[in-house]
Amino acid sequence: MGFLDRPRAPRGGQKPSMDHPYVPSFPSTPEDPQTDSSVSLLPHLEAKIRQTHSLAHLLTKYAEQLLQEYVQLQGDPFGLPSFSPPRLPVAGLSAPAPSHAGLPVHERLRLDAAALAALPPLLDAVCRRQAELNPRAPRLLRRLEDAARQARALGAAVEALLAALGAANRGPRAEPPAATASAASATGVFPAKVLGLRVCGLYREWLSRTEGDLGQLLPGGSA
Amino acid sequence: MPAGRRGPAAQSARRPPPLLPLLLLLCVLGAPRAGSGAHTAVISPQDPTLLIGSSLLATCSVHGDPPGATAEGLYWTLNGRRLPPELSRVLNASTLALALANLNGSRQRSGDNLVCHARDGSILAGSCLYVGLPPEKPVNISCWSKNMKDLTCRWTPGAHGETFLHTNYSLKYKLRWYGQDNTCEEYHTVGPHSCHIPKDLALFTPYEIWVEATNRLGSARSDVLTLDILDVGSHLPLPSPATPGLSLLVRGKVVTTDPPPDVHVSRVGGLEDQLSVRWVSPPALKDFLFQAKYQIRYRVEDSVDWKVVDDVSNQTSCRLAGLKPGTVYFVQVRCNPFGIYGSKKAGIWSEWSHPTAASTPRSERPGPGGGACEPRGGEPSSGPVRRELKQFLGWLKKHAYCSNLSFRLYDQWRAWMQKSHKTRNQDEGILPSGRRGTARGPAR
Repeated sequence: MGFLDRPRAPRGGQKPSMDHPYVPSFPSTPEDPQTDSSVSLLPHLEAKIRQTHSLAHLLTKYAEQLLQEYVQLQGDPFGLPSFSPPRLPVAGLSAPAPSHAGLPVHERLRLDAAALAALPPLLDAVCRRQAELNPRAPRLLRRLEDAARQARALGAAVEALLAALGAANRGPRAEPPAATASAASATGVFPAKVLGLRVCGLYREWLSRTEGDLGQLLPGGSA
Repeated sequence: MPAGRRGPAAQSARRPPPLLPLLLLLCVLGAPRAGSGAHTAVISPQDPTLLIGSSLLATCSVHGDPPGATAEGLYWTLNGRRLPPELSRVLNASTLALALANLNGSRQRSGDNLVCHARDGSILAGSCLYVGLPPEKPVNISCWSKNMKDLTCRWTPGAHGETFLHTNYSLKYKLRWYGQDNTCEEYHTVGPHSCHIPKDLALFTPYEIWVEATNRLGSARSDVLTLDILDVGSHLPLPSPATPGLSLLVRGKVVTTDPPPDVHVSRVGGLEDQLSVRWVSPPALKDFLFQAKYQIRYRVEDSVDWKVVDDVSNQTSCRLAGLKPGTVYFVQVRCNPFGIYGSKKAGIWSEWSHPTAASTPRSERPGPGGGACEPRGGEPSSGPVRRELKQFLGWLKKHAYCSNLSFRLYDQWRAWMQKSHKTRNQDEGILPSGRRGTARGPAR
């Protein structure tokens, strides 16, 4: 189990921070020159977690709005509750697996960060296609552009948190796939609409997932 | 559809297409896989463009494993609504046909969603229909310049207006006798059908301006407007400036301007019959050798009759006099630019500025039976006479070099007058009311 999974026993007589059971307690001695800076980082780290969690929460709301605007502009049946389109495969990104919730939190956050890194080129591709299909829908196009930017920002914030928590992925970082999900862009309009819906749906799912996973880092969240 | 090739609808949009025949079949296109089953389908035609009122024959061909998947049980929806079964026909074991007649215009610009469903309702394939009208030629092009360095133009779409298809409008312009076609790039600046050319305009030479409208069903071009910012034909309609602020409106061979901004009306101290009007000269006039003359009009709040003050000349302030005390007045100002590049030709009067209201002070003179406000003996005078005198003295000092004059001198004179008047009255036995008599006895 990594350090994120249980509070560590302190060394050198230092008591664990009972207010922050999920914030790592660094081993220290009174002579350890890092003591003061390490302790001073803990409130900062918690603040960053809260901040990132709030950002994820906000972006989840935006993703809902994007989805609503998107389906409205594609026309029925896209907005109908009974609409069940084929779940087109999207290159380089899949929906959160059912087993996601059972993973350790740092592993979940790594998957969240990877998904958030994969989303921007897909959202950009959807934006380009929608610029052809709905050129007089500036709000939708702006939301798609913003979504790509916001996914990048949140992904970077999650990765920074992972690095600060010592749980960053030390392997070579996989490059996000090119917008190969545009396979449908070469075919008909209807498949392109469906694919765009899929991407917007994935965006919302991963944001919601990230929000939930970050929430478990906060005091009171269950790991 | 093979990647990288423009569809026939897009190709046909470049030139006016012939009316589409009743039967329309195109090449088979790839289709999304159904979510759970092994069957897929292809709809043909894929994303057709059609005229309103025309008909469509479409097919949904099912492929899958095991081969020979049946067309039985398939059905169609259009924009989420299931189509009546009588419109469909099984062509063969794996193909279901659909015949639609007298099509209405597309419900959304992204195309109507025609979907082929399996028996269980799952989506097998989809195609988007674009049903509309070709564009009509844009009309009513009007243009104006903010400062004779740029140009904004506006137009109206053709008679039908709604084409049900996304229609692209492109404003083009070129110098009349030479030069290449240029395309305006800043659209929707003053409404959905407008464009702004920000720079590089030539003066004293005519431009040709027109608008091209294009959609999937064809294109149309407006009549050409010939425009010279300084000297244009009189056939231009008079547009109303859509933008507040300053603009020079080009019409005929004259120029007008927006009304003066920042009109302020205020009292003149306590003067009960005067109001001061100030305004700002339109900034656009500064860039050119324009002079300007102004007119002011004003009316009482409850009246519809305006009084006009003419020939305000090139000033930016004016004092209205002879007004009623304690009365609200509405005031407007308008401007006429003349002297463009040195000529003495008058322009067109601008619109009146927005009304500005102010009230004159209430009168302090006694009305019939009213209390007395006139100054009593020995006391410094007050009221309108004194105020006007103050203004006069100030003006006198400024223009007549009477630096020794002052209000104190005037007060001293008044005091002396009061004193000498009282003394004279006492000598003659005249009471302050003007009646003759002794100071104590009754009047005779």
